[in-house]
Amino acid sequence: MLIGLVLALAQMGCQAPPPTTRITVASAGRISSLDPAQASTLSATQLISALGDPLYRLKRDGSLEPRLAASAPVLSDGGRTVTIPLRTDVRFHDGTPFNAAAMAFSLRRFLNIGTLSYVVGDRIASVEEADAHTLRLHLSRPSTSLRGLLTSINLTPISPKAYSSHQDRFLHDRFVGTGPYKLTRFSEHQQRLEPFAQYWGEAPRNNGLDLITLSNSTALYGALRSGEVDLLLSASIDEDQRHTLHQQAIAGDLHESVGPAMEIGYITLLSNQDPFQDPNLRRALAVSLNRTEISERVSYGLRRPLRALVPPSLPGGALASWPKHNPNQARELLRAAGYCNGRPLRFPLTFRSNVPADKLLALTWQAQVQRDLPDCLVLELDGVESTTIYRQLGEGAFKAVMLDWRGSYPDPEAYLTPLLSCTSVRGDHCVDGEAAISGSFWSAPGLQTTLLETDTLVGEARRNALDRVEHLSANGAAYIPVWLDSPRAWAQLNLSPPKFDGSGQLMLAELERRFEGTTNN
Amino acid sequence: MGRARDLARYSATRLALAPLMLWLIASLVFLLLRVAPGDPVDAVLGSRAPAAAKAAMRARLGLDQSLLDQYLTYLNGLLHGDLGQALINQEPVRTIIGKTLPASLELSVIALVMAAVVGLSVGFSGIARPEGTLDLGGRLYGLGTYALPPFWVAMLVQLVFAVSLGWLPVGGRFPPSLLPPDGSGFFLLDSALQSNWAAFRGTVRHLILPAGTLALLLSGTFTTALRLNLRRTLRGDYVEAARSRGLSERQVILRHGLPNALLPVLTIAGITVASLIGGALLIEVTFSWPGIALRLQEAINQRDYPVVQGIVVVIAALVVLVSVAVDLLVAALDPRVRY
Repeated sequence: MLIGLVLALAQMGCQAPPPTTRITVASAGRISSLDPAQASTLSATQLISALGDPLYRLKRDGSLEPRLAASAPVLSDGGRTVTIPLRTDVRFHDGTPFNAAAMAFSLRRFLNIGTLSYVVGDRIASVEEADAHTLRLHLSRPSTSLRGLLTSINLTPISPKAYSSHQDRFLHDRFVGTGPYKLTRFSEHQQRLEPFAQYWGEAPRNNGLDLITLSNSTALYGALRSGEVDLLLSASIDEDQRHTLHQQAIAGDLHESVGPAMEIGYITLLSNQDPFQDPNLRRALAVSLNRTEISERVSYGLRRPLRALVPPSLPGGALASWPKHNPNQARELLRAAGYCNGRPLRFPLTFRSNVPADKLLALTWQAQVQRDLPDCLVLELDGVESTTIYRQLGEGAFKAVMLDWRGSYPDPEAYLTPLLSCTSVRGDHCVDGEAAISGSFWSAPGLQTTLLETDTLVGEARRNALDRVEHLSANGAAYIPVWLDSPRAWAQLNLSPPKFDGSGQLMLAELERRFEGTTNN
Repeated sequence: MGRARDLARYSATRLALAPLMLWLIASLVFLLLRVAPGDPVDAVLGSRAPAAAKAAMRARLGLDQSLLDQYLTYLNGLLHGDLGQALINQEPVRTIIGKTLPASLELSVIALVMAAVVGLSVGFSGIARPEGTLDLGGRLYGLGTYALPPFWVAMLVQLVFAVSLGWLPVGGRFPPSLLPPDGSGFFLLDSALQSNWAAFRGTVRHLILPAGTLALLLSGTFTTALRLNLRRTLRGDYVEAARSRGLSERQVILRHGLPNALLPVLTIAGITVASLIGGALLIEVTFSWPGIALRLQEAINQRDYPVVQGIVVVIAALVVLVSVAVDLLVAALDPRVRY
């Protein structure tokens, strides 16, 4: 009876909506803040990238494309001054002209209240308006990574007029930028974007976007399968469903686009307490892990095995600084430390219980050591909700914990500094700094100096310095990189194939609906 | 006259106890949140934010005060109707509740009506022939729907009707291509009042699966409750007396059996709607329904203390009010109830 009632009511809505050139995009995760000084989630940065423009955009080939900047940044004063010429034909959505004053306002505001201001660190000493359309940054030290930083979505300029009463506080539910779309309706679960008629660049190829968030992977997957949404953008969709969508794309039933691999998955070992005070035990764990098998079993090969901290797509990035899977070597190291032969090393491996891939990874690694090193190593799995993990990480609460990291801007520094930087080193232990916050408490003689050096060098010299940092880290083995993940988008066939830029943002303005017999809207 | 006075006294006592109950709940939530691991400042700023920024945020939010001071500030705000602001985006908690509560209420009420209609019909259908096929079917239906795991049913319904057949939306509350109707936040009501039939149809489409699933899961309770109460009632002396006066079985059931059997069902309905307001989490998560339970879950994950406290207190207040109202209604309808 109930089913009959449902079916009868369903008849009210069975008619397909008329074709439209608006595009519906679904992703996971509620957007609680649209303020570039606070936004950190993928959904929020993706939305801001459609509503605003950065100074530069990183292209897929690694080169910088000026957006609001008129040309490449000019370095002077031994790299301590950066001069950025700005475009003169840009307006914000509220009509305010974009100029050096507006850019300086946005940067100063970010430096003042930005929750991600650590991404700028102490590099920018002051911001100066050299003239109406020239911005000058005075750096406290030369910084090679500044180039990547200038592409950051968090530094997207905002209208000084619209944010005049929010200079020192966040504005969460509005965004007034210069981008190809303006925001006409915002709720945490649904946003409506209309093309901005006075946009300085190429007009969007669609008549607007409706962005929705769905709260679970099955709903996201189902919405794309049923045709309810045009495009699915999500890194958090379950592995099985990602695989199915990938297979459908191979079969030609969907478009699939893969962005640059920018997210690393790794295991942090607590290096200042037993048992992982012993670097040989950490090295034993590093070679006990069969990344290729894990990649296949957990993600059907969609997450690539990784043996480095810096994604290979970045300059100086590498795939293989850490040693390969070698259970015999793991056994020897464990034996030398007094384990094996009836005395296995038991340790708790903590994973984020709300991240399905983490649990699968933990289970697979546990099964691998049961198979390869049954008398030497026992993993005791412990699922903890991620908020609790992040809160207690810096307190040294976890012997071994699985995490992931995505740099805030496309540069090796955005990966190495948050994991390795240390302001107070005692021997091989980090007492205070990012390495402590990251839960490893690990450092090494000369590491911090080399790390700082990498940001002052360029070209081959920088690559060599980055290589030294990676090898020091691999030898210390306080972090064990596992895999590398890429953002993916799947679109219906009546849409143009989606494209990512070099920073991993989907270029929503280039999406175009293709009606039968036409190529444009 | 005496009974009316007793009823008034009873009502006053129940309502007077409500603030005490709410104070206890509010205090308990306040304490539990402070004991739970997870720092709200980390949730807002991230664990890598500079220590100075964290300290400033802690001071701004009053988290640097003693627990007692925080508690007194919280109670003072509560007494003045101020539920505070969300830590994550500084949105007033009242606004958050104002946006999410109508969604949950709309879902709950529609589901309850559907559940009552279906559940009571199934429960009533077998009464003419106890232990007959219909009665047996009703019993199985009652037990079966009661025992079904909500998450599994919701996923199944979603996969069949939304993903495979594509008849209805997978989730959400309103078509993304339309503008939601302004007004009370009850989209069905608002769109009907504004004669916005496209919005009305869109709302109905989005309501069918979550409300239908909830209704399916709840209807068994109504079926079982009515069936048992009706059978017990029909064995009562006054029913025998009615039969002996020559009334037909149909008259006996409709005039004497059913009204008395429905009184306990009324209590169940009241408790159910009250608990549904905050308790339909699995349904809201599965169908991405932007209701108060989903918002509560998100706030708990983010350690957003004011939002959690505000939502729990409001849900508790609603549960208390609805249960008092149901008690009073039953007391008013049933002359046998004593105070």
